Amino acid sequence: MAPRYPPPLVTGVSPKEGPPGTRITIRGENFGNDPRDLIGLKICGMDCHLSAEWKSSSKIIARTGPGRGMGDVIPITRYGGKGSCTVGFRGYFLHIGPLQEYAVWVDESQTVQSNLDRGRPATAMAAKEEEDPLGILDEGDKPKLREEELLEMFPEASGNMSLENFSPGWYLLEHHRNASFSDLKAGLSYMKRKASTRSEGPITFVRSNLTTILDCLDSLTAMYEKYSEEDIRGDCMNSYAVLLMQAKSCADGLFQEVLGRKDKADSTRNALSVIQKFRFLFHLPLNIQRNIQKGDYNMVINDYEKAKSLFAETEIKIFRKVYREVERRIAGFRNMLHKRLKDTHNTLDEQKKLIRYLVSLEYKGDPAWECLDNQQNWLVELLDDCKDDHIEEEKNGMQSDHQTSTPGGPQWKPVNRVNKSPIKSGIKRESSFSSLSSSDQQAVWRFRTPQKVLFIEDITEIMLQNFPDFWRLGQSYFTREKSDKGVKIDTSKHSKMKQMMTEVVSLFSNYVRAAFLPESLEGMPEAEREKFGIWPKSSKQEHISGNSLPSCVRSIRNCANFLSSLDTHGDSMIVLKDLAFDMRTNCMFTLLKQAISDVKCLHTKETWVVETDDQSGGTTQLPALFENIVNEAIQHLHEVVVMNKPSEPEIFSQRPIQKEATVLCSQLLQAFSICMEQLVFSPPLQKKETKQVKVVIGQEVELEQHGDPIPSLDKRLIIMLSNCRHTLEVVVPRIIENLTKHGYVEMEKALKAAQDTYGALDQRLFSSYIEQKSDPILGAMEPNLYRGGFSWHTWQGQNQGVRNYLKEIIMSLIEVHSEVFSISPKFVMRVMQKITEAVCEELCRLVQCVTDFNAGGAIQARLELEALHITVRIYSSNHVEACFKEAFDVIPELSEEGKLMVAGLLEQFKARMRIQLWCFQSEDEPVPLKMATNDDSNC
Amino acid sequence: MSKAKAQQPAVIHKVIMVGSGGVGKSALTLQFMYDEFIEDYEPTKADSYRKKVVLDGEEVQIDILDTAGQEDYAAIRDNYFRSGEGFLCVFSIKEQESFQATQDFREQILRVKNDENIPFLLVGNMADLAEQRQVSEDEALKRAQEWKVNYVETSAKTRANVDKVFYDLMREIRSRKMEASRQSNGKQKKKRDTKKMKCVVL
Repeated sequence: MAPRYPPPLVTGVSPKEGPPGTRITIRGENFGNDPRDLIGLKICGMDCHLSAEWKSSSKIIARTGPGRGMGDVIPITRYGGKGSCTVGFRGYFLHIGPLQEYAVWVDESQTVQSNLDRGRPATAMAAKEEEDPLGILDEGDKPKLREEELLEMFPEASGNMSLENFSPGWYLLEHHRNASFSDLKAGLSYMKRKASTRSEGPITFVRSNLTTILDCLDSLTAMYEKYSEEDIRGDCMNSYAVLLMQAKSCADGLFQEVLGRKDKADSTRNALSVIQKFRFLFHLPLNIQRNIQKGDYNMVINDYEKAKSLFAETEIKIFRKVYREVERRIAGFRNMLHKRLKDTHNTLDEQKKLIRYLVSLEYKGDPAWECLDNQQNWLVELLDDCKDDHIEEEKNGMQSDHQTSTPGGPQWKPVNRVNKSPIKSGIKRESSFSSLSSSDQQAVWRFRTPQKVLFIEDITEIMLQNFPDFWRLGQSYFTREKSDKGVKIDTSKHSKMKQMMTEVVSLFSNYVRAAFLPESLEGMPEAEREKFGIWPKSSKQEHISGNSLPSCVRSIRNCANFLSSLDTHGDSMIVLKDLAFDMRTNCMFTLLKQAISDVKCLHTKETWVVETDDQSGGTTQLPALFENIVNEAIQHLHEVVVMNKPSEPEIFSQRPIQKEATVLCSQLLQAFSICMEQLVFSPPLQKKETKQVKVVIGQEVELEQHGDPIPSLDKRLIIMLSNCRHTLEVVVPRIIENLTKHGYVEMEKALKAAQDTYGALDQRLFSSYIEQKSDPILGAMEPNLYRGGFSWHTWQGQNQGVRNYLKEIIMSLIEVHSEVFSISPKFVMRVMQKITEAVCEELCRLVQCVTDFNAGGAIQARLELEALHITVRIYSSNHVEACFKEAFDVIPELSEEGKLMVAGLLEQFKARMRIQLWCFQSEDEPVPLKMATNDDSNC
Repeated sequence: MSKAKAQQPAVIHKVIMVGSGGVGKSALTLQFMYDEFIEDYEPTKADSYRKKVVLDGEEVQIDILDTAGQEDYAAIRDNYFRSGEGFLCVFSIKEQESFQATQDFREQILRVKNDENIPFLLVGNMADLAEQRQVSEDEALKRAQEWKVNYVETSAKTRANVDKVFYDLMREIRSRKMEASRQSNGKQKKKRDTKKMKCVVL
């Protein structure tokens, strides 16, 4: 809370009265400590805060408002509140006569205008009334008497001093009704004194009533003329004429002095101005020199113009001499300006200024055109230098790259230059990603901004900075000529200008093409082609530029858009637009191709670590990596492909491009299948893989790598099978969706092709896996069956139950089951069905081959078939059932006793193999809670 | 001209500063009122000041009318003079003309007030610039005696005798007023009043 200050108090005003607008100094105390403390000021009830100027806590300066009469001066402060005053201010309105000097502006619209309307005498009256003849200021608060009352008291009289029936009584009552007797007495003495001191002669009187007297004179003259016209003669007329003549000569006498003075003053002024003129000329050479040094060129030109108009035609020798000197200096000045115009580092405004100077100095020739020409040459030179420099750099870079793999040349820009924009850093991340697949040296390469990227940045910057200026200069050249009526528009120059612009733009475009799209320049003659620079070719180089291409494309597009915003209908801009379009297409293709090759290299990144989740089953990271690469490529291309700036053609609007894009997309999708197949059938060498991982990820992964070598073929098969399925079902649709979203067309075709590819791969992998698995089982079956000289027709060991070979088969099946389950539970049914089918078929075939069963053999065969049948029940198919049926048919009918025995032995088998049999139960069936007490199933 | 303020019921003594232009009337006034010395010269038209002071233990208000010295405003002086109760007639001791002008002022005042004994003080200002003195003290004293008034030399710059001239004048005014009231109320305490007048010392 701010401390409460005492309210402000005004104890002095200077002056204490005045008309509105009087500058008043207000003194007192507690006006606050700061100008902001003063929050209000009222003088005679009028708010004057706006004009108030806080000087100190005891002084404020303000201008009074239109308050009338005696009033208070009240400041209001922030902490002291509303103040009070011991003195007051009296505001009054002045009637300023039209001839009166006055310090402040007076609104004359009411006083003067109306007076003029009423006639001039009123002015004199008003002036007279201004002054109170008694010198008494009216300070009465009582209301004045109304005119009617006065008229009643003084009939036929008037308060107007200028009238004949003036009555002093009326006047005093009207004006000084409240004055005391002593005041009136003093007023009388004042009036007497005034009258006695009035020394004004007739001249003063005439002066103060000049207009009236002139009016009189005019009307008298008019009267005289009228009389003369009517030919009235007589003494009266003669004396009238004489009187008029006298009046005139008297008036002449009165004002002769003044008029004579005026004549003298005029002639003196003339002489002075002539001297001034001469001095100007004689000083001119020096002044020109000085102003040129100061850089005040406008001044020089003005002076020169002036001198030219004054002295160019002069005959006087000395002037001519000086004027020649002036001309000489101006010529020097002209040359200097011209030289400066040639200097290409000027800004556009400077150039325009220089041109304007030269034009106004009547420079021979066309300075603006020269400047344009000059600019164009300079621009071409700049572009040329930029290209040469960068090609040189590139060559150096490549050379030193061949010599040593470590970068460090001073000409290489630091890496962080690339990190300017988020997208660029994105590229870098991606490039470090893909360096998994490349050699050390290449990784080093990638960390440096490619020369071509630097080139494109520099060259677009040159264009953006300088071309608009050039263009604008050209524009103003023509508009200036248009605005100049004297000079007709030179149409040949118009087209020349266009040609010049086109030249620059196509040069720029060709330089860029030489760097990025060399094939588009193939058609050119050798000599011309060489002019645009031949960039050293390198396979690596191509790869790198792919990574930074989007940023290059961005630069070019920005440039094209910006420049075409200058001149939208110019021919030269078509060149640029084509360039931008070609760059986009090229970028898209390059990136897609690169993605394809990246995907093809993916097989080197397989770690064989299977991660299982509920939806996709077990997969390795490979499908995810694949999806990443594709999505990243799409992301990078997003800007290039999808975002169309106004006035840019749709990238897919051209049929060949569209087709090729589709082909590339589907290639990209299919590339992964090749990679997977390669992984399964010809996995990379263990050693190499370890090394690469070490390069990129580091120690941690390397250890893991040691503990997890490449698995065996069947394991690989099943893993890839799972990957393939996952890719087909999840990844590919997702990618297609993404692609479609980004505007790629005809993705259905690509999807179809991808589905076919992955389906085929799936089939291939599956069949080879089944082959892998079932071959050993089936091969071992027959020998095991007939081991120990077993023969169906001599078999006697009825009570032995199910023999070991069958148990072995079951164990093998369990083994397969577990393997598949560990990778992907989804495949269990599919794989097991296939394998059980093969096994059952084989067993049935074996049984069918038997021609002769004895009773024991029949029991045994039935028992074993039955056992297998129960075991694989959930995987059985029609085909399997048919096989079993055929097999059962071959076996001779059993006796009752035999049937019982089979049933008994079967129960025994079930009980013993309980745990193993669980494996063949579907998940829905209730699992027996009893634990096996004796496990004699040793295989 | 001046309105009595309801919140300021004390007695008001109306003092008028007269003298030629540039002799330091405003400087004396501002020095007395606000203890400040104004170096810049700006001709006054008519300024009004009023503040509470303690005069011999009694709280009174002094109302100072600072008038224009310039001849341009001579015409309006009569009006102002009429309301004055006491006059400080100021001249500059380094300007003989200003001293001569005091004669005219004196005459005008007497004419307007029509009172030979109007409270009046002849003030020679700029006493700090004694080396430029043009008006000798004797000369001034002689004139003061002629007029039967007191003469004081002041310096608005150093504040020498500034309070004195105002207080002395107020005392004169007070005694004049008392005399007047006694004349109307009977003739008591005349002696004391005359004594009071004698308090006025050079």
